[in-house]
Amino acid sequence: MDEEKRLSRKKNILFGIISAVLLCILLFPLYWALITSLKTEQEIFQNPPTFYPHVLNTKSYAAQVETGDFNMFRSFANSFLISVGATVIAVLLAVPASYGIAKYHFKARKVMLLSFLVTQMLPVSVLLTPMFIMFKNMHVYNTWVAAVLADATIGIPFSVLILKNYFASIPKDLEEAAYLDGCNKFGAFVRILIPIAKPGVMVCAIFSFLYAWGDLAYGMTFILDQEKRPITAGIFNFMGQYGTKWSYLTAFAVVTIIPVALIFIFMQKYIVSGMTSGAVKG
Amino acid sequence: MAKLKKFFRYENVGLLFVLPAFLYMLVFVGYPIIRNIILSFQDVNAGNLVRGTKNFILFDNYMELFQDSVFTNSLWNTLRYTVLCLVFQFVIGFLLALFFSQRFSLAKPVRGILLVPWMIPVTVTALMFKLLFATDIGVINFILRSMHLINKNIEWLTTPGTAMFALICANVWIGIPFNMILISTGLTTIPKELYESASIDGAGKVQTFFKITLPLLKPTIESVLILGFIYTFKVYDLVYVMTSGGPVNSTHMLSTYSYKLSFEMFKYSKGSAVANVLLVILLVVGVFYIKVTTDGEDA
Repeated sequence: MDEEKRLSRKKNILFGIISAVLLCILLFPLYWALITSLKTEQEIFQNPPTFYPHVLNTKSYAAQVETGDFNMFRSFANSFLISVGATVIAVLLAVPASYGIAKYHFKARKVMLLSFLVTQMLPVSVLLTPMFIMFKNMHVYNTWVAAVLADATIGIPFSVLILKNYFASIPKDLEEAAYLDGCNKFGAFVRILIPIAKPGVMVCAIFSFLYAWGDLAYGMTFILDQEKRPITAGIFNFMGQYGTKWSYLTAFAVVTIIPVALIFIFMQKYIVSGMTSGAVKG
Repeated sequence: MAKLKKFFRYENVGLLFVLPAFLYMLVFVGYPIIRNIILSFQDVNAGNLVRGTKNFILFDNYMELFQDSVFTNSLWNTLRYTVLCLVFQFVIGFLLALFFSQRFSLAKPVRGILLVPWMIPVTVTALMFKLLFATDIGVINFILRSMHLINKNIEWLTTPGTAMFALICANVWIGIPFNMILISTGLTTIPKELYESASIDGAGKVQTFFKITLPLLKPTIESVLILGFIYTFKVYDLVYVMTSGGPVNSTHMLSTYSYKLSFEMFKYSKGSAVANVLLVILLVVGVFYIKVTTDGEDA
């Protein structure tokens, strides 16, 4: 027994070291972008490269507030507005839809479920041109509305498919107890079922937000003016114009990652359950 | 009125709940798909895009495509890229999942942090890998130089063969967490008693892996690979930001070539045709996925 305990402690240390090494290798690209954003242009071009900034330079961040052919913080705000808008639409539509699919066996149920499944697999290329024409006709082209409407189409099918499992797992008795208390179907749904399915709703909101936050194709195609574009499109634009200004470019990258990092730190458990329930990204 | 009331009395109430989301998807996804198919049979350019045209040229766009070497190359590139990415991210993801299924205190937190690459906006990932593969200041060239494997910097992103390699590296980086976490979850579903009885019967580790782990993971492996295929095959942002299909069209994928035709050359119809080819391939794989995961029961 003692022997075994010592062995498992040894294993614990050894595996801990290996996992630390793995972590360093796999997260190196992130570390590299972060330190590059904190170096001076001169240090970035130094050979051999420095593995931490010898002179701390925060100008790449500050410069974006002061000057402005590309204002990173306005792009950030645009992205935020677009992502929140898309998330609200996705959650508002997907919550009732997934409940309907989970709890009722109406005729068109299978067809609808299948169509949500298929839309998850669509490539953006198929939708870009027709959506472009549609948004022009709706007079929302070149506004954030176009990006919101398009981004919500990624969140909705994902959310429906995730949430229907949550609703399906809620026992029918709970619902029936609500009817006895005088609730109608809608009341039972709002007061009893949604609160129970709350973790699922969180997963949907988080993923809808992340999908919209990461979108490039829609934001770039449907919004023309730089000052209205999301931050991803801003980065792409900037890369084309100032291809080698790496201190600025990596500063944009770091700012774009901030919301993702916050979501990861505070809501990690939802991420795992979202990823393992059959998600196709993007 | 009474009839209407009867219709909504029981199961059909469900329809009312689903309808808003379904209609939204019908308008913003269903209709565009049909419109895209029609577009691909027409001759639409910048002049007649918004006001529309009745000029049908039927299969001419598709016929042209198959004589277009950039298109056939994109098709081949997309396949090659997808298969190579899948192989590497699956193998690495599998090994990591096995590693983290061991019992040690850092297993859970570290595995959690390794999910981060999957969450990062692809545009940012593309930028980070562009920096790593940069010719003069890139770390990868630096490492190869210090190991004396090369004596002149490689121009990764502006040389046809190596540009594809860089893209694959970036995509594998995004895909590893996805493979790892799904296989990890699959591993937890295998009952522990099976392993115990195998070790009592004197089975070695390798034997246990091939006789117990792999066969029981089959459903997980199938869905990981098919989902991975779908996600990788429709790759757009990563390639568009890292290489834009260059150098000299050598890294064009179906999605980026479609985008280029439509939004840079304003040959909307031809771009739509390329997108439809992509769509058909994905749908075939998608049907396969639905078959595998649902096995005929409730989807």
